[in-house]
Amino acid sequence: MAQSVTPSSSHVLIVDDDSNLAEMMGIALTQAGFEITVCGDGPSALEAFGSVNPDLVLLDVMLPGIDGIEVCRRIREVSGTPIVMITAKNDDADVVTGLEMGADDYIVKPCATNILIARVRARLRPTPASLMADATYTVEDIVIDTLAHRVTRGGSDINLTPLEFTLLVTLASQPHRVLSREELLEQVWGYQYKADTRLVNVHVQRLRSKVEHDADDPRIVRTVRGVGYRAGGD
Amino acid sequence: MSAFWTRLRTFDYANLPRLAWHAWRRSLQLRTVVISVVMSLIAIISVGTYLSWSISQDLFDSRLKQSLSDSARAQVVAQQIFDSADVVDRADVQSVVNQATVAIRDASSSSWLALYRAPGQDANPLSPQDFTSPELTGGVITPDLRASVLAGVGRQHWQSVDIAGPTGNQPGIIVGSLTTIPGVGDYELYIGFDLSPAASTLAYIQQVLWIAGTGLLVLIGGIAWFVSRLVVVPIRAAAATSREFAAGGFDERIPVQGEDVMATLAQSFNDMADSLQAQLRELSAISDVRERFVSDVSHELRTPLATMRLAADVVFDNRDRLDAPSRRSVELLHKQIGRFEELLTDLLEISRYDAKTATLMREPTNLVALTEEVVASIQSLAEGRGSPIEIHSPGGHCEAEVDPRRIRRIIVNLVGNAVEHGEAKPIRVEIDSTATAVSVLVEDSGVGMGQDEVTHIFERFWRGDPSRQRTLGGTGLGLAIAWEDARVHDGAIDVWAEAGRGARFRLTLPRTPGVPFGESPLALEPTSREAQL
Repeated sequence: MAQSVTPSSSHVLIVDDDSNLAEMMGIALTQAGFEITVCGDGPSALEAFGSVNPDLVLLDVMLPGIDGIEVCRRIREVSGTPIVMITAKNDDADVVTGLEMGADDYIVKPCATNILIARVRARLRPTPASLMADATYTVEDIVIDTLAHRVTRGGSDINLTPLEFTLLVTLASQPHRVLSREELLEQVWGYQYKADTRLVNVHVQRLRSKVEHDADDPRIVRTVRGVGYRAGGD
Repeated sequence: MSAFWTRLRTFDYANLPRLAWHAWRRSLQLRTVVISVVMSLIAIISVGTYLSWSISQDLFDSRLKQSLSDSARAQVVAQQIFDSADVVDRADVQSVVNQATVAIRDASSSSWLALYRAPGQDANPLSPQDFTSPELTGGVITPDLRASVLAGVGRQHWQSVDIAGPTGNQPGIIVGSLTTIPGVGDYELYIGFDLSPAASTLAYIQQVLWIAGTGLLVLIGGIAWFVSRLVVVPIRAAAATSREFAAGGFDERIPVQGEDVMATLAQSFNDMADSLQAQLRELSAISDVRERFVSDVSHELRTPLATMRLAADVVFDNRDRLDAPSRRSVELLHKQIGRFEELLTDLLEISRYDAKTATLMREPTNLVALTEEVVASIQSLAEGRGSPIEIHSPGGHCEAEVDPRRIRRIIVNLVGNAVEHGEAKPIRVEIDSTATAVSVLVEDSGVGMGQDEVTHIFERFWRGDPSRQRTLGGTGLGLAIAWEDARVHDGAIDVWAEAGRGARFRLTLPRTPGVPFGESPLALEPTSREAQL
């Protein structure tokens, strides 16, 4: 085995209606040192999510019963657990819908074992040390406390998923820098190579819908046309 | 109402001829009505003028004839009175003349009389005084008439005149003749006849003609409008339907009424539309089925392929534990699954273009930066093959609204091809821009290709000269996809190549969507200086 075993073995919930593929992903992930649970449809996935409390969900888009996008939405209602969608269709609408429903990342079938494992690891990776420095950032009227992993506005909590939190802290910790989509992909998602910048666009939209007063006129996560994004400032 | 007047006041009358001309050209109905009315007007005026002229002629002739006969009878009666009179003194003469005057009035039923003693006679004490009715004074009896009366003894002479009446001048005829009062001398006798009853009859007839003519004209205009409407309305409906049909409303049909030529036209049109629609449906169904099939096949293959891929990876990672033949087998399996995967991805991409479901995710993109990234990722491989890549970017540092994913794919493809066919010679990439276009040119000095190859290079699965063996993989769809990628941006890829000299691929894109890129900033054919390089 080339891959090193993750220290405290994380639990991955694999949801795919193709039992052979689910089993094969299970083998690959088990070899990489993960604990796994496999489900074949939407309802059992939601049930398993409640009972095994996984660290990450690998979720096929096309599922019998309740489809993957709906499963994703329901999980997001109760938890910020990382979700990676698996799709046979790289079709734009499908991918974007999945991301909008709160998936953190997506993998297109077929996918190499090393990429599958790298993506899963990236989503399980603890927040980079630089971001974990005990610091408090203030952007406009929100306060980000990295130690307590909290974002507040006027004392009341804003509920963010770990990915959204990392995205916000990454921007807030470099207040005068404009970060390109590629830089964000690298710093937040852990991509070492070019990937789909729609990931960034969609998650910035989701983040804005939670932290901005008016998502159409963003003050906290600003777009710098043609370059990327920046936290606050004029 | 006031709005109407305002419109009337502010109406641009200078435009009127232009508007009228426009309406004339546009409306078949207006043309039909106007032409009918104008032609009818000419006909009615001609007929009316002829009628009026001939009626007035006839009225005058008959009145003249009557006047002459009345006058002749009166003259005969007067002459008889004169002849039978036995006059001895002036009073007698006067009495005879008065008697004759009454007789003339009775006979001619005209009271307009004049009696002059003919000039050139010796004075006679018995001669009665000349007299003239008031109507005939004031030069009504012209010297010409008098001269001709005096010249032609015993004959009637007439003249038409205007006689001053109580209501202005009225037409009349004066008939003159010579008469003789025995023992006294020759006298000119003039009798005037009033023509105003005839004139008013004529005026009435003319008035009737005018009214009838105008009425007829209006009637003809109305009939022309109505009849042309009967023809124009179905034509207009047919034209509107054809237009709708041409614009894509394939369900549009012309209503068929009756069995006339319009109905035949409508029926033929509808038959044509039915047939076209059926063929279109069939074609689009075939095309849909084909596109969906390719797309479905590609999707359906993905799940088993994903399992195979993972399985092959797991075995491949553990290949050191296998014996030599099994190890080699799993290596080949692993490699071919990779190729299969690429092929599937490309097939899916092409099918997306065929189904026109490809969506562009445009964002401001710096093509120099993008090209530099691509080159950086390929550079080590290129150098390994002895074809280092050199970038020149005199321009192109601007932002272009493109889908970076697709443009990157084009550049990867072009640069990859250059490395593949570069024959260990340097590769040159140039980027430049104009106000409307941004262009990337990739040039190698490798094997190049012939003209016939250039024409096929963008065809799917086209394999050129067998000597151009693929060593870096590739599916045979790369340039076909690149072509579609450029086309969906309204851009273009041009190729220049020469066998043994190398190839130049030039991508040109509009900087702003919807604005044609015009001239490419980079020349496709190498200049002599570049050729030396």
